[in-house]
Amino acid sequence: MPDNLSLYIERDSPLQRLNPLTKLAISFSLILIGFLGPGYWLATLLFICVLVPLSIWGKIGPEFLQRTVRLILPLALFLFVMQSLFYPGGRTVLWRFWIFSVKLEGVQFAYLTATRLMNMVGAFLLLLLSTHPSTLMTDLTRRGVSPSLTYILVSTLQIIPQMRNKANTIIDAQRSRGLETQGSVRARIGALLPLVGPLVFGSLVDVEERAIALEARAFKAKRVKTSLIHVPDSVRQRQVRIGLVVLTLVMIGIRLWPL
Amino acid sequence: MSMRIAIENLHFTYPSGVVALRNVTLAIEAGEQLAIIGQNGSGKTTLIKQLNGLLRPSQGTVRIGDWLTTEHSVAKMAARVGYVFQNPDDQLFKGTVRDEVRFGPGNLGFPAEKIELLVQQALTLLELTDKADVNPYDLTATWRKRVAMAAVLAMDTPIVIFDEPTTGQDYQSVQRLAQIFQTLHEQGKTVIAISHDIDFVAENFSRIVVMGQGQVLLDGPAQTVFAQAEVLNSTDVEPPQLTRLGQRLAIGPVVYTVENFLAALRKENDMQGER
Repeated sequence: MPDNLSLYIERDSPLQRLNPLTKLAISFSLILIGFLGPGYWLATLLFICVLVPLSIWGKIGPEFLQRTVRLILPLALFLFVMQSLFYPGGRTVLWRFWIFSVKLEGVQFAYLTATRLMNMVGAFLLLLLSTHPSTLMTDLTRRGVSPSLTYILVSTLQIIPQMRNKANTIIDAQRSRGLETQGSVRARIGALLPLVGPLVFGSLVDVEERAIALEARAFKAKRVKTSLIHVPDSVRQRQVRIGLVVLTLVMIGIRLWPL
Repeated sequence: MSMRIAIENLHFTYPSGVVALRNVTLAIEAGEQLAIIGQNGSGKTTLIKQLNGLLRPSQGTVRIGDWLTTEHSVAKMAARVGYVFQNPDDQLFKGTVRDEVRFGPGNLGFPAEKIELLVQQALTLLELTDKADVNPYDLTATWRKRVAMAAVLAMDTPIVIFDEPTTGQDYQSVQRLAQIFQTLHEQGKTVIAISHDIDFVAENFSRIVVMGQGQVLLDGPAQTVFAQAEVLNSTDVEPPQLTRLGQRLAIGPVVYTVENFLAALRKENDMQGER
């Protein structure tokens, strides 16, 4: 059965070949600028003018868009409903029905928050879709980041697809035991414990095995380790990274001390 | 009613585009003991997941008795087809072994007395009676697997599927498993197992289906299946040691258990004695 344990999509493209640290820098600067940078349309522009072209450059355009939309759409809908109706201090009423009224300020606020979140989710997805977790881990460790820290980082990135796989198996196992997972809200709530239970217990069991596996591979050894995987880097990329850090700082500066 | 399994022209393609089953046609009569073997990725798991509707045909039909799997939910199918997953940790969630075993028959809506009776029988069959009030996660993996089996057997389904029942099991548990299959056979139930444990398959199953690349390559009793060394080799299956030894010794018929190996050997010796 095809098991996809990380979000990584294997394609041959310049984006995939970029040094993981460069991609990490792109992602974080996009997120920070999106949230802290000036201007109402900034996050929207970043997404359309930077993230989408980058994903097309990386030959992962369709997957990138599809996953971002799937992740952000429910959240965005919720935001729009809540904020447009209950945004405090909203005055400009667009239309009203019964006891509710939709206010312009709320819609604007919801749009701003939604685009910033979309920008953040997109930036993370771009990194995850184009970078193999072990490449990222190798590169960060090579740069002197503590292996424990990179492990925590990478395992967090990997845990979602892993959990999803496990959850699917659990759902199958419980449905095979006659558990009704579709239908009424009550049936769905009742189905929650049999699904969440094994997921949590199983993860706890996994932790022990993981710890043993890591230890068996000399995870805590103090000596300098060599790596089988060679992660390419270049002076150009280093310059880009420094540029991104400066740009982010400038953007935050403009926000803090507007001219 | 007879719980005959009828699979006709079954094709299955995963959403990712991987073609897992190609034109599988298979009929399994009620009460048969059938093992499915073949290399990883040969379509074994995909095939048995079709039997209770976890997966549904891309083309063709799967019928359990008079039910088409496409017309009933998995939860409904569970009344006819019990499915023991490979990893017990994918299903255990109750605080005690007894509650865990009670969960399946409870879902099927049996009356309370019947549930208690079935739970008791399943616990006895798996030798779990003295562990009934223990938390499943306090047991070793071997015993957790038994709990998972008891939980499915308590559902009293006419068809029971086991995915790799012998992995991680010690000799004693494997012996117990053989007895359980015997008991299920006496109760007239259909047992279907996927296994890589070729000796276990040879000793406990009257019919063996060999799969490779999503197709049924061989289907028949152990005697005829194990004779096809080349086909078996094409799907990475090695005949049981005794079969290979028998072939090396050229002792006539295809053997696969200690008993029929010894019988064939004696016969061979007698014939040589006469010469």
